[in-house]
Amino acid sequence: MKKFVAILAATTAALALVGCADQGLDTEKNSITVYAGRSESLVQPLIDSFVAETGIEVEVRYAGSAELAAQILEEGQNSPADVFFAQDSGALGAVAKAGLLVDLPASILEQVPASYSAAAGNWVGVSGRVRVFNYNPEKVSVVPSSVFDLADSSWQGRVGIAPTNASFQAFVTAMRVLEGDDKTLAWLKAMKINAVIYEKNSAILEAVESGEVDSGLINHYYWFARGKELGFENLTSVLGQFDSSDVGNLINAAGVGIIKDSQAARDFVEYLLSETGQLYFAEETSEYPLIDLVDAGLDLTPLSDIPSPEIDLSDLDSLDQTLKLIREAGLI
Amino acid sequence: MRRTPRLLVVLGVSAALMTLLPIGYLAIRLLQGWEAAVAEILRPRTLELLANTGLLVISVSLSALVIGFSQAWLVSRSNIRFASFFAILATIPLAIPSYVMALGYISVFPGFSGFGASWLVLTLATSPLVFLAVTAALARLDSAGEEVARSLGQGKWQVLVSVTWPQVRPAATASSLLVALYVLGEFGAIALLRYDTFTRAIYNAYRGSFDRTSAAALAVVLLAITLLVIWFERRYRGSYVQSSRSLSKRVRVELGGWKIPATLLLVAVGGLSALLPISSLVSWSIAGTSKIDWSVLLAALWGSVQLAVAAGLVIGLFGTAIALWSIRYQSRLGKLIENLSWAIHAIPAVVVGLALVFFGANLTPWIYQTSWLLLIAYLILFLPNALAGLATPIAQVPVMLEEVSQSLGTPASKSLFKVVLPIAFPGLVAAVALVSLTVLKELPATLLLRPTEVNTLATRLWGATEDLAYSQAAPYALLLVIIAGLPALALNAQARKALSEVLG
Repeated sequence: MKKFVAILAATTAALALVGCADQGLDTEKNSITVYAGRSESLVQPLIDSFVAETGIEVEVRYAGSAELAAQILEEGQNSPADVFFAQDSGALGAVAKAGLLVDLPASILEQVPASYSAAAGNWVGVSGRVRVFNYNPEKVSVVPSSVFDLADSSWQGRVGIAPTNASFQAFVTAMRVLEGDDKTLAWLKAMKINAVIYEKNSAILEAVESGEVDSGLINHYYWFARGKELGFENLTSVLGQFDSSDVGNLINAAGVGIIKDSQAARDFVEYLLSETGQLYFAEETSEYPLIDLVDAGLDLTPLSDIPSPEIDLSDLDSLDQTLKLIREAGLI
Repeated sequence: MRRTPRLLVVLGVSAALMTLLPIGYLAIRLLQGWEAAVAEILRPRTLELLANTGLLVISVSLSALVIGFSQAWLVSRSNIRFASFFAILATIPLAIPSYVMALGYISVFPGFSGFGASWLVLTLATSPLVFLAVTAALARLDSAGEEVARSLGQGKWQVLVSVTWPQVRPAATASSLLVALYVLGEFGAIALLRYDTFTRAIYNAYRGSFDRTSAAALAVVLLAITLLVIWFERRYRGSYVQSSRSLSKRVRVELGGWKIPATLLLVAVGGLSALLPISSLVSWSIAGTSKIDWSVLLAALWGSVQLAVAAGLVIGLFGTAIALWSIRYQSRLGKLIENLSWAIHAIPAVVVGLALVFFGANLTPWIYQTSWLLLIAYLILFLPNALAGLATPIAQVPVMLEEVSQSLGTPASKSLFKVVLPIAFPGLVAAVALVSLTVLKELPATLLLRPTEVNTLATRLWGATEDLAYSQAAPYALLLVIIAGLPALALNAQARKALSEVLG
């Protein structure tokens, strides 16, 4: 009996060792593969400076976030990827749901407000983007007070949306969570009549700029990117927000998760959340830093001043139900 | 019954096994979520997609057939002026990826979208396939029959319908099948032009909901439609006509009063399909060249050329084996393999790509994310493109020549290499060129399967459009069109050369 207890104790201790991730963390690894759903011209300079600073080699595979998520799901346990850097929380959520993301250490998670990360702690937000009302001021004199006002017949044919786009779908999920399925379905059905359908945010912006449609629902940084390419003074459209706490002002996040844990992979995530990384996103892509930056001297409205609704991004994981409503309304 | 050389059987069967991979993948996905799959198919939306897809496939196939056939007949058989110029003009759209053509139209006409827009862009993008196939078939035809018909008092139109058409029908319908399947599997242009088809719904199932079961269910419906289209084509194909190639001099048909309308037609089609998209690209390129990183551009160019050439050779090799097997040896198994490769041709590239991701990462990790797996994907995707081009030249070599060679003591398998292949060679080169060209333009499977950090012109073009930087995307698109233009011109030159030989 004594012997049995001893074996039991030893086994328990061994199990405890295995269970504790940090003990088994690979610190030797000196090169990682990142699947990046963000654009190369945007993030490669930041990755280059990470390589220069840490000496860790990074291979990056660029493609759309959704395609990469599908790819990781097919690869399963044999994925060559160490890190998944995605454009939106939906893609991360799909991979996390399949159990392919490891739990992140608290030291990483606590840097970012909990509402911008997974509740289960297996992915973390890196940069914030805001849903905005993009409009042509010659055709729209007053920004409506709520996104629900767009259901009014006076908006028929005057607002562009992209129902197949991940950020639009995240916004509809938020609407369901905050306002309920019935109200959301009614709004979607009204949009089936009122809205002009586009493939993605950039196409909506393009259409608002060219006068093809009066307004559209997009993410804020598309407008900033176009302003940087063509000169802000050459833009015909402007950005507006709905009234305070309206779901149309949702703040969403691009984020990152670790598929194969190692010190190098963690260093990479830490780097994205470092002051260098965060300032880089703010300056290059006009996205919102998610860590506390004291007096960063940015031109952006501070994230806390955005009239966004109170919502936790990891509550937006009921995409299936959202798609069901969008389909029922006939939008996709 | 002659015995098939073993090499042909080995190549043919291995191609068939690779072709089965996407089907196996779809089966696995469906079995995992049978009920969800059935529910997906039974949605009323499926019917709507079916109607949309059917309308587009039928209309584009018909219009591409009419346009491609008219172009081919006018430049090879009529006395129209500047025939060589018009022949080149008719081939150029082949070099323009359909999503680039769609972008070109959108940038000129904002708001260009819907059924009409998709019909126009896809018709313009695919009619060169018909043009090339029919031109090549016309070049190899004996015109004696036409002259006899004319001397018996038949009018031009009657001769065209009753004598010329039956002889080029196999080539014309085979290329129309290619067009129909192209439209079925097309995503890029249709997404930009906002028209809903099965393929777009499949992409959206992956993108929106990461729902691999619904995507697989829709892909199976697409597979069923494809089989239907193939059955239809096989029924109406007619049979290949062997040509002796000892042809008498040919007479070009006098167009008379039809000359001006015919010229106007060629000018209009050329303007819409080549001039408009290319000039839009050039103007955007001029705006974007200042920002271009030339070393990145050259690396992408090199990546594209390597892959396209390698894929052309691989697919050419397998394709020739299958075509020889099924046509020269009248083998049932050979024909079955040919049909199999056609059957999956309309499965969207993203499904084929994910199938290979699934098998590659989990079963053969040593070739996963290497060029080898990508080449297998290209083989699965584009074998039918090669078969369409290979069938005519191989079928048209008279069996008599082979028999003569054998009667002189050459073994059957040797006669194949000494007689059939040399005669068919120009046609084989043309088919390989066509495949390389198609590979250059391919995007979804390339993105999924390319070695990490390898780029092609198409992936760079994708990256730039994702960034919304059209001015930066345009130089890549333009270079892609220029590079793809080389095989397109070679194809055209080859067809024209065959023509000029017989025209004397």
